[in-house]
Amino acid sequence: MSKITELAVVVEEGRIDDVVAAVEAALEEGNAPMDILNAGLIDPINVLGEKFRLGEVYVPELLISSKAMKMGVDRIKPLLAAGDVKVLGKAVFCTVEGDMHDIGKNLVVLLLESAGFEVIDLGMDVEPDDIVEAIQENDDVQILGMSAMLTTTMYAMKETIEALEEAGLRDRVKVLIGGAPVNQIFADQIGADGYTTNAPSAVELCKKLVVA
Amino acid sequence: MGKETILKTLRHEKTDEVAWVPFTGVHAAFMKGYTATEILTDGDKLFDALMNVHKLYTPDGMPIVFDLQIEAEILGCKLMWSDENPPSVVKHPLRKTKEIPCKCQIPKKTDGRIPMIMEVCERVKKAVGDDTALYGLLCGPVTLASHLRGTDFFMDIISDPTYTEELVAFCAEVNIALAKYYVEAGMDVIAVVDPIISQISPSAIEAHFLSSFQAIFDEIRNMGVLSCLFVCGDATNQMDVMARSRADGISIDENVNIVEAKKITDQYNVTICGNIPLTTVMLFGNQLDNMKYVVDMLDGIDHHNLVISPGCDMPFKIPVDNTIACVQAIKHTDESREMVKNHETAGSLMDIELPDYQALTKPFVELFTLDADTCAACTYMVNAVKDVKEIMGNDFDMAEYKYNIKEDIARTQKMGVQHLPSIYINGEVRWSSIIPPREELIAAIKELM
Repeated sequence: MSKITELAVVVEEGRIDDVVAAVEAALEEGNAPMDILNAGLIDPINVLGEKFRLGEVYVPELLISSKAMKMGVDRIKPLLAAGDVKVLGKAVFCTVEGDMHDIGKNLVVLLLESAGFEVIDLGMDVEPDDIVEAIQENDDVQILGMSAMLTTTMYAMKETIEALEEAGLRDRVKVLIGGAPVNQIFADQIGADGYTTNAPSAVELCKKLVVA
Repeated sequence: MGKETILKTLRHEKTDEVAWVPFTGVHAAFMKGYTATEILTDGDKLFDALMNVHKLYTPDGMPIVFDLQIEAEILGCKLMWSDENPPSVVKHPLRKTKEIPCKCQIPKKTDGRIPMIMEVCERVKKAVGDDTALYGLLCGPVTLASHLRGTDFFMDIISDPTYTEELVAFCAEVNIALAKYYVEAGMDVIAVVDPIISQISPSAIEAHFLSSFQAIFDEIRNMGVLSCLFVCGDATNQMDVMARSRADGISIDENVNIVEAKKITDQYNVTICGNIPLTTVMLFGNQLDNMKYVVDMLDGIDHHNLVISPGCDMPFKIPVDNTIACVQAIKHTDESREMVKNHETAGSLMDIELPDYQALTKPFVELFTLDADTCAACTYMVNAVKDVKEIMGNDFDMAEYKYNIKEDIARTQKMGVQHLPSIYINGEVRWSSIIPPREELIAAIKELM
């Protein structure tokens, strides 16, 4: 088994204590940093994302493998030449005002970053005005992702879309929503551009939205 | 109301009717004009709200409190309170340290909000405990462990499973302690609410946590009461392992297909509870949507070992009349099936003539009900008007229209009545799903005399 394949196994199994050593072993074997990044760190997360969608793995597996991947990326990043890493797009993510449930949002952010997106994570309980401000300050943001766990906080998504309209920013970003109480009907009602049920499919949707 | 129906259903005995448990957590506050925080911290307001739930929703069983942060708060989690939701945990005491809390931290019955809950339970038991099963809800051991440890708990399951097993075992002891207090206060059913287990693989649950669940449910059984395990989210793949937790019942939300899930629970002779959709039907649907959903559900599933309930804790602002429609459909399914059918055809039945409200000689009070003979909320509303009629005599006219009479359905539709039961005065809606106090009703009529 090549050292890159061994690294991919380490990431897929979420072995955070072994990942840095596995990256170094792959480097010592003479592999190009870019190949290690793609085949050793990003590919296993994609495999895991698919398994998540099929109900073969769950949140713990996805979280720890994403953490392993991130540790590996941190090790390899200084070795990558400028321009090696293609940024697919830039997104702002948060849970909406009043909502302190961020596990789903964190997962989406981790997977998006591993897929090649640059993500500005505003955290939890973010007011519409602060979201608007973040988009104003970053004129290359293409996607806004909002998450809500509660039936009461989900309406803050609508308020945020209205605030974007008032600020004249609505056409500049695609709005993606997710969380337990929301669905496609709600997304349509509030004028969001997309809705997904889980983190891996959110990544797929983001990829589609940035080329749309 | 059938406490016995609940107890029999959870004992897996045959029943004459299907049991009904509305999970009126913070929604009970909304029904009485309180905030969520008020009923979760003030025993008198909680009692008042629960009595109102009992009156309007005629439950066979009802929770005293639906707040999964009670234990977490006692164990040192910092909470953020909200007007329309239970509080959320914002700081986790074990976030930076992998410790197992000392057993000395297991809550005592004088800790936190436990005394308030026990006192309210005792009052509710005295008031309605003969006819209604009281549910004591606990924050399940896995969710409680995640409250204490934060998101890292999920990763610990993979990287340090022994730690998570020990932490969950500690939380199971917390559950058992609270169950004892709640049973002492008069709870008939102890529900272990563990929403996040839908996010964990069945194999991990089996390997690390199943024994803790079994210990809890064995202890609850030894206390002489019945038990339920609640989960939220898509727990389809976890149904089998949950059915082996030794709980008497399992409660699921709309993310799980109840017909398919029941095939699994039936194999283990476990009762299934669920799963009226909280948002798409109860929160955003109308009365007919709710009635139709429940009728269809009852028509499509075997009634043995079945409790009908909302998918989980009811959202704060669910229209009261939507729940009333669910009650009607559960308790009077045949009549409700007819109502749904008639509703769909009533528009073309006849051309109902409405009164000329501008030309009335005295106030005209019209009651639009589902059927005051079978719907408790409707009965209270009709009796409220009849009481005033006895006092005021011929000072005003009154009429009742029932939704099981085709002509009345057509009238209800023509008037544009959105919620049943409702009181209209001189053609204008005045109260929907709220029983007005006598003085308020008299004042409203006098205004128009």
